[in-house]
Amino acid sequence: MKVEPILYGDRKVYTVPAFSRGVAMWLGRLPPIWIEGEVTELRRNTAWARVFLTLKDPESGATLRVTMRRDRFDALELELEDGERVHVHGRAELYEARGELSFRAHTIERFGLGAHLAALERLKKKLAAEGLFAPERKRPLPFLPRRIGLVTGTEAAAKQDVLTTVTTRFPPARIVVAETPVQGARAAAGIVEALVRVSGLPEVDVIILTRGGGSFEDLLPFSDETVVRAVASCPVPVVSAVGHEQDVPLCDLAADVRASTPTAAGRLVVPDLAEVLQRLERARAGVERGARRTLETQEQRLVRAHDRLRRAPALAVERKHARLEATAGRLRALSPRATLGRGYAIVRARDAILRSAAAVSTGERVEVELADGGFGAVVE
Amino acid sequence: MSDEALTFEAAQKELEAIVDKLERGEAELEQLTALSQRGEELYRFCREKLDAAHGKIEELAKPEA
Repeated sequence: MKVEPILYGDRKVYTVPAFSRGVAMWLGRLPPIWIEGEVTELRRNTAWARVFLTLKDPESGATLRVTMRRDRFDALELELEDGERVHVHGRAELYEARGELSFRAHTIERFGLGAHLAALERLKKKLAAEGLFAPERKRPLPFLPRRIGLVTGTEAAAKQDVLTTVTTRFPPARIVVAETPVQGARAAAGIVEALVRVSGLPEVDVIILTRGGGSFEDLLPFSDETVVRAVASCPVPVVSAVGHEQDVPLCDLAADVRASTPTAAGRLVVPDLAEVLQRLERARAGVERGARRTLETQEQRLVRAHDRLRRAPALAVERKHARLEATAGRLRALSPRATLGRGYAIVRARDAILRSAAAVSTGERVEVELADGGFGAVVE
Repeated sequence: MSDEALTFEAAQKELEAIVDKLERGEAELEQLTALSQRGEELYRFCREKLDAAHGKIEELAKPEA
């Protein structure tokens, strides 16, 4: 069919089928491509030459009609169920009778977890190489946060678990909650935005990022690169409690502390009030007891010093005495008496020791000193 | 007490350090009164922080889409 307008004067007007034909021809020039989506409303009937299904984007909910020749579809032996994710290869076409766009599939491939896991693994390696998960990046949690940020989904369970745990353990806690979609297309952007907003509030000293359990795909936003980076660059420490114990979304690795459950996260961010009070009262009692002990210690020190002071003079005399004795001993060892003991004598004249025979004259009186005594003598 | 910047944790640590010092009998006699006074101040500061804090849960308004 040719696409010919009807002319009314200088106005070109197309019939509906002519318009559709024109669009269909234009669409026919587009190259074949792959489209990803979720299978819904799959209709196959042996009376029909074609299989119909609707391809749905799980995040936005946008849909696209897809048709495929039944013999081709059957040859794939996919046994697809509604809800399964697939890659469809084909090209756009127009259902001309209704002017509706559809997608003519040449082949369909099941898009399983494998592809997700591989993509996740690549991202994990990349971020790890950047050091985002490094242990030295982890910050300690504050002992007593002035305010606690809670980024959570609107679903009640995880949020309620955190609130209950925190307020039971530490009733004076102040918590600011930012709810955000935690699954679907807007989740990642929402989580990032909530993290940024909450961490920017005054006095928020720690943030809990939490979400209850869910399917692998439900938790995917928590492995989104933007979310992981937002957690890593958050100006205050982040406790991540996402999914169940066995789930480890990438945001868990980037967080400062990973909690296995929302309840565990709640326990991590506040101390037990009763324990805090007990510790405080103990410390206060310690001040008094310590002051007393200090006084006692100082007093004992003083008594000891005084004691030593009293004993000091006697001790000093004793020491001096001992020293004198020692000196005397040395003196004795040096004295001429020892020499006299060996048979020598000292001769004095006019009270001076005689060193030369010329120093005395005949008839002069001298004194002779021996080891055991002395006597007088006259020079001949 | 005018320690605006003091956190609960810092106050508690200082208090416990004072207790330690006193219990070891290491404090100077001249410091004794000052230390005891400081200890009592820190205790009151911590106590007030706990008593003054009234538990509060705020819901942050959703951003405009």
